[in-house]
Amino acid sequence: MNIILIGMNHKTAPLEIRERLTLACAEGVDPIAEIMKIPQIEEALYLATCNRVEVVAKTADAAESIERLKDFIFRQGNLAAEELEQYLYLYRDHEAVRHLFRVTASLDSLVMGEPQILGQVKDAFRKTVENNASGIILNKILHHAFRTAKRVRTETEIAENAVSVSYAAVELAKKIFGSLEGKTILIVGAGEMSELAARHLIHQGVDRILVANRTYARALKMAEDFHGTAIEFDHLGKKLQEADIVISSTGALHFVITAEMVAAALRRRKNRLLFLIDIAVPRDVEPQAGEIDNVYLYNIDNLQTIVDENLKTRKKAAEKAEAIIEEEVLKYEQWQSTLELVPTIVSLKEKLTAIVQGEMEKSNAWMQNLNEEDKKNVAIMVNAIINKIVHQPIAGLKEESLNGSAMPYAAALRRLFRLDGNDV
Amino acid sequence: MDMSFFYAALGIYLISAIGYIASLLIRRVLIAKISTWIMGAAFAAHFFSFAFRFLLTGHSPVVNFYDTLSLMAWVMSGVYLGLQFKSKTRVLGAFVSPATFLLMIAASYGMSGRVAVSPILQSGLVPVHVILSVAGEALFVLASLAGAMYLMQDRLIKHKKVTSFTKFLPSLKELDRINHICLLWGFPLLTLGVLAGSIWARTAWGSHWQWDPKQVWTMLVWLIYAILLHQRLAIGWKGHKAALFSILAFLILLVSFCIETVFFRTVHNFI
Repeated sequence: MNIILIGMNHKTAPLEIRERLTLACAEGVDPIAEIMKIPQIEEALYLATCNRVEVVAKTADAAESIERLKDFIFRQGNLAAEELEQYLYLYRDHEAVRHLFRVTASLDSLVMGEPQILGQVKDAFRKTVENNASGIILNKILHHAFRTAKRVRTETEIAENAVSVSYAAVELAKKIFGSLEGKTILIVGAGEMSELAARHLIHQGVDRILVANRTYARALKMAEDFHGTAIEFDHLGKKLQEADIVISSTGALHFVITAEMVAAALRRRKNRLLFLIDIAVPRDVEPQAGEIDNVYLYNIDNLQTIVDENLKTRKKAAEKAEAIIEEEVLKYEQWQSTLELVPTIVSLKEKLTAIVQGEMEKSNAWMQNLNEEDKKNVAIMVNAIINKIVHQPIAGLKEESLNGSAMPYAAALRRLFRLDGNDV
Repeated sequence: MDMSFFYAALGIYLISAIGYIASLLIRRVLIAKISTWIMGAAFAAHFFSFAFRFLLTGHSPVVNFYDTLSLMAWVMSGVYLGLQFKSKTRVLGAFVSPATFLLMIAASYGMSGRVAVSPILQSGLVPVHVILSVAGEALFVLASLAGAMYLMQDRLIKHKKVTSFTKFLPSLKELDRINHICLLWGFPLLTLGVLAGSIWARTAWGSHWQWDPKQVWTMLVWLIYAILLHQRLAIGWKGHKAALFSILAFLILLVSFCIETVFFRTVHNFI
């Protein structure tokens, strides 16, 4: 079986190289159609994301196909062969299957366990199917890859736990408030990280957004971006009582939110829980505020610690995931080895059918005396005998193939039954 | 018949408790889901044990101390299953199911035979008094369990010890809500139970109030819960303080119960 995988990813190639490949493909070229023009290639999958470009192909002639596939990739990237060669990796057969399984299960991703890659592989496979570029092998490999990815996701903690500061904040908010629907969020100051966290929270159903900034015009601008309300910076203390979640990241050198302000706000909001996220350096929120009952205060270091812990958990989960990948690759191999028996089984059955046909024709002379019903019955009986006889050896052959030791038996069968022609 | 259902329920509660704890240890939700159904089965079997006892004896199935433990276990699991049905808080099951099982074990000590019930306790109001009071107290047990879980989760989040255990516990909001609901339902039930008792006492003993130690302690507990509920509803006690207070109130209830059982002979001892 000739399966090849050529590709480059974030580990082997710098961004500007990967970019050239993906950009080239975006410009109306249908990569699958191009790849399928290579005569030796029977089935093909083309996967391009911002972190990788991968081509998987089933081919009749591996050596020839590899050269032509590389040519295709060089042409796409408009790059010299020598230049590109160093970024590429090449896997064959089981190695290729394993790599694709790892990619689909997000073990090869920049952020291990990220959920997008599975969808991207599914999209790529849909293109393959649309281009009639899939056959029995790629179909099996891809469905197996999807199943493996699902197993990895459910059986390990790889996709659990936030691995970015802003997402860690969202998970904490959920542990405090349960659902975030109907909650109010107050953004104090501007900054990339606070905006990112705010977007995550809005995505989770937070529906009221207040924005405060020293420069009121900036608050207005940001409020517009978030479909929120701008508030005067001086009213911060008063508005604190309306917020359930506060994200603060001002450039102020002193505390913007004091413990006293928080205590007063909490009294006014009848002790409803308050989550303060302080991602400013130096800090915006007076640390004593975190000691007040029903107030939860996290600064950037606290969040980073959670992320670091979660990354450790993911690394451990990855080890377990690798074991699952090995298991699934083995299962695939077993399937493929039974597949290798298919030609032998088919030709054995063909041969036997031919014998039956021949003998039935020879018997035509005396069978003329039988009525139609009996003729049919004789045919049924002969076929039943043939099927009974070959059932055992075929079942045995499939069993052997699970241990990968079917090929000698298959060869013996071919020789004994002279399946490769030259009848004696 | 009633006894076989009782022991069946006891056994099934144990299975569900083991399932819940196992799901907590190996972090598999599926096991907790199955345990919920098992607990439902135990709840049903338990119900049949009460029903058969009622049909066989013709009087209330809850007459002695052990029966009240059994009833308490039944109400607790019923309320938990109801909560579970409305919101997904399976991890609470890991606390409720062992508590239920232990109550059942304690109840089984007095379950050996049927006791003759004195006619004085067969008045219609006695079962009402017992069932309402026990149901109210069962809800207080659940309130304090939710409170205990709240304090754990609160401590973990407050001290930035966000572990996988944090992930497994329900959100603070949810735990606070359970605590609130249980108090909100438990308090009127206990109140009605006490009222039913005092009305009956008037007819049986001639007065509403005897200064019996059990009555005094119950009154104290009732007062504490009244304060707690008032603070929650009117002052806006929420979260940490409310959880802490509901646990304290329950401890007082437990202590008062032990004191009066050990040190006093009261008109309430009918065993």
